[in-house]
Amino acid sequence: MLVTYPEAAHWPIDPDRLDLVEEFRRQPRGPHGDELQKLLHRLRWAGDPDQPGRYVLIVTQPGKEWMLGRLPRQRGRPIELMRNHVFTSIAEAEWEVFKLRWEAVTGRTLPPHLSEKLV
Amino acid sequence: MTDTTSILGYAWPMVVSPGEEVAFHLSSPSVSKADAAVVRVRCGDPDPAGPGIRAHEMAAPFERTVSLVHQVIRPGSCAIVADAPALTSFQSFTVGAFLWPTMPGDRAQTILSRWREDTQEGWRLGLDADGHLEFVVAAGGRTWRVVTGAALLSREWVLAGASWDAEAGRLAVMVRSADAQAGRDRSECVEAPGPTGLEWPAAVPLVIAAQASDGGGELFDGFYDGKIDRPRLHASVQPIDGLHRLCESMNFPMTDARLIAAWDFSRGMAGESVTDLSAHHLHGRVRQMPTRGMTGANWDGSTDRWTDCPEQYGAIHFHSDDMADAEWEPTLRFTVPAEWRSGFYALRLRADTGDEPVESFVAFFVRAELGKPRSRLAFVASTGTFLAYANSALRLDQVHAEAMLEGVLTLSRDDVYIQEHREVGLSTYDTHADGSGWSISSARRPILNMRPRGNVFNYGNDTHFIDWLEETGQDYDVITDDDIHRHGVQVLAPYTCVVTGSHPEYISREVWEAFDAYQRSGGRHMYLGGNGFYWRIAYHPTVPHTIEMRRGMTGLRTWEGEAGETALAFTGEPSSTWRSNGRPPQRLVGVGFDGQVFTHSSPYRWLDGAKDPVLSWLTAGIDLAAPLGDFGLRGNGAAGVEIDRVDWSLGSPPGTVWLATADRLGYGGTPAPEEIRTLHRGVMGDQNAQVRADLVYFPTANGGAVFSTGSIAWVCALSHAGYRNNVSQLTGNVLKRFLDPAPL
Repeated sequence: MLVTYPEAAHWPIDPDRLDLVEEFRRQPRGPHGDELQKLLHRLRWAGDPDQPGRYVLIVTQPGKEWMLGRLPRQRGRPIELMRNHVFTSIAEAEWEVFKLRWEAVTGRTLPPHLSEKLV
Repeated sequence: MTDTTSILGYAWPMVVSPGEEVAFHLSSPSVSKADAAVVRVRCGDPDPAGPGIRAHEMAAPFERTVSLVHQVIRPGSCAIVADAPALTSFQSFTVGAFLWPTMPGDRAQTILSRWREDTQEGWRLGLDADGHLEFVVAAGGRTWRVVTGAALLSREWVLAGASWDAEAGRLAVMVRSADAQAGRDRSECVEAPGPTGLEWPAAVPLVIAAQASDGGGELFDGFYDGKIDRPRLHASVQPIDGLHRLCESMNFPMTDARLIAAWDFSRGMAGESVTDLSAHHLHGRVRQMPTRGMTGANWDGSTDRWTDCPEQYGAIHFHSDDMADAEWEPTLRFTVPAEWRSGFYALRLRADTGDEPVESFVAFFVRAELGKPRSRLAFVASTGTFLAYANSALRLDQVHAEAMLEGVLTLSRDDVYIQEHREVGLSTYDTHADGSGWSISSARRPILNMRPRGNVFNYGNDTHFIDWLEETGQDYDVITDDDIHRHGVQVLAPYTCVVTGSHPEYISREVWEAFDAYQRSGGRHMYLGGNGFYWRIAYHPTVPHTIEMRRGMTGLRTWEGEAGETALAFTGEPSSTWRSNGRPPQRLVGVGFDGQVFTHSSPYRWLDGAKDPVLSWLTAGIDLAAPLGDFGLRGNGAAGVEIDRVDWSLGSPPGTVWLATADRLGYGGTPAPEEIRTLHRGVMGDQNAQVRADLVYFPTANGGAVFSTGSIAWVCALSHAGYRNNVSQLTGNVLKRFLDPAPL
C-alpha cells in the first residue's frame, strides 16, 4: 500500500526568519520565494499536528465569506466551526491561518507589527 | 448560508429520454415538506465573479409540494446465502477460509456466520474487538466461545477456521500464518468446552463478511474489512491440516456428502452472485458491491490479470463502508415531456425551516434520443467522470490535498456533510476506511458534487460551457458518456460537431472507440478541457450508471492498487491509464495530460502555427500578439488546473497544428508521475518546458477535425468581460467552422 505520511515534511523552520513571515504577509497568495515555498509546504503538509484537526475554511457565502474550521483527522467526526473567525477574503484567511501555524510550530509569539489582521 | 444537505436524493435512472419516467428517491431527517421544481441548468457555479446559478424552471407535471421522510443508508458489503435445509442438516462441523484482514482490532467483525444478532443464536466465526479470531456457538440462551491468544496482523494472509465437535463437546479455533517467520507468525489452535448438541435457529441466512441482524433477512451488521478467499463449510471435525486441504482444494468429489459448501469467488466475477462448488448449490449474492477480482492467498505473481488465472483470484475484498445502492424508496416520479430539450436538469427542492433556507438539487440528464438529433451540435455530459468523482472526500482525507492545492482548504457545506456522513459512499479518488482504494462508483445514491451549487469541479465547470452556448444563442443537444458507452458511435454520428467539456477523464474502451470512429468518419470534436481521455474504466455489465476503475502502477493516483489487482472485475480488461494501455490521449485529441498547476492559471501565447492564412477562420477577430486568456474564474487564466501538451512521441498526429502554448507556469507547475523517468531537481514548471498547456487543431479523415485546449480552466474563462474576450471568440470561431459541413 502506498501511504502518504503526515510527518514527511521536515524542512527545518528557523523562528528568527521573520523575513519569511513578512514575505507571506505581503502576498499570501504568492508568488513566493524558494524558502517561503518550503516553509509553506511544511506547514500545509503537517496540517496543524498540535490541534484537534487541520485548519480549513468553510464557504459561508460563495466568493464572499469564509469561516475558519478544524477538520478532524478521523473520518466521520464533525468539522468544528469557529464562528468567531469569519473572513471576507481568502488572503485574509490565509494570513490568519499562517500566523496560527507559525506560532504553533516555533513556539513564539509574532511581534506586534506582524500579528495584526491583514487590511 | 444556504442549507444544501438537509434534503438529499438521487434520480433513477440518472439519464432519461424525453417521454421516459424518472423517479426521485429523496430523504430528509428534518424537513417534512418541500417545494419541488424541475430546472434546466444553465450554470451551476454560484461564484459571484461569474454568471452565478442560472437555471430555468420548467412547467412541472407533478404536485409541487412533496412530503419527505428520513431514509437511511446501510453501507457494508457481504455475501448472503439464503437459508437452506443443508445449512441445518448437521451438528459437528468445521468452517474456515483464507483471510487477509485489513482492520483487525478496530472492532468486532464477522467472517462467516449463521447467526442472529438480535437473539444471539447460531454460530459465527469472526474477529473480536481486539483482532483475535473468535468462534461462538449459541442456542437456548447459552453461549460457548473460543478465542485465539494473539491478534491477527493487518494485510497478512492466514488460514483461519473453527470447529465444533458435538460428540466431544469441544470447540476449536485455529490460525495458520502463510508467512510464519520474522515476527509474522500468528499460528495457533485453541480449544474450549462446547455444547454436545444444539438446535439451530430457523430461517437465518448464512452470511460471509457480516451477520444477520435479525430473522428478516434484510439487515446485517458486524461487517468485516479485508479479503476472504475460498470459504468452506464441512460437516465434520477437522484439524487445521484438514481445513487447509479443504480450502486449498478447488475440486470436490460429490461422494463427500459432508461437504456442505465450498464457495469459489473467482466465478462470475462481474456479477453479484457467489458460486458454491458443493452438491448443495448454496449459491449466494453480494450486497453493496464488494471488490472482486482480488488476489487470493495462492496468487504467485505469474500474472496481474484475473482472466489469465482465475483460480488465483478467488478472494473478495469486503469493506464495511462499501456502498453501491442507497435502496431508498422513490418519493416522486414523473414522465419527462416529449417536447423537453435534452440537457442538464435537476430537481430543485426548497424549504424554509427558519434558521437558513434549504435549497438542494438532485441532478439528472435528459438525453437527446438515439437517432433523433435536434441540433447539429452535441455537448457530452461526462457522466463517467462525474461518477468517478462522486462524493469525493479527497480534500477531507488525504494528507497531500492542501499542499497540492497551494492554499488553505476551502470546503463547501456539502464537504462538511460528507465528513460526517460517510454512508453516502465516496469516490474513486478516495480510500475506504481500511486504506484500500475505492474502485466502484454508482449513481444509486445522492451525489453531492454533481449538481448546481455543489463543488464546481467537473459538473459545475462544464455548465460554464452550457452557459456560453445559451448566451451565444447556439442550439445544442446533450448526450452522455453512459449512452456513448452503450450505443457507440451511433450516438455521436448524427452531429456535425461534438464538444467534450472541462475534464472528460474517465473513458471506457467503448467510449474511446466511439470518438475514434467519429473522428475518422468526418466528425468534428472540440475537446475544451484538460486531463481528458486519461483513465480506463468499465461500466457494470448489467447495473446502469455504475463504473469500476483500478489505479495501477502509473498515473497521477490518490491511491495505488495492490500488485496483481489492476484488471477490472466488471470486464477483465486492464484498467490504469490509457497511456499505459497503448492509447495516449495525444493520439485521439492531439494533447495529453502532463501536469497540474494550482498556484495560478496562465494565458497562452500564440505560436507560428496559428499564423497560417489557411487558419484565418480560426483566428478571425483575435489579436495574435496579445495573450490568449489572461483572465478566468480558475486561477485568473485560461490555461491551468490540469493541463495537456503535444507530444509527438506519444502520438500527437503529424498533421497537428500547434496553435498556442502556456509553458511558463512557474514553480506551481507540477508534472504527472508518468512524465518522469528518473528523479532530478529540474522537473517542476519553473524549469521544465514539458509542463505546459497546448492548444491544437488537426484535420482528420473524411473532412473531420479536432480542436483541443488542454486545460480545465478554459471553459471557466468564457464568460469574462460579458463573454466578449478572446477565449470566447476563439471558441466561437472554431464552433462556427466545425458546424459548417464543408470538409476541413
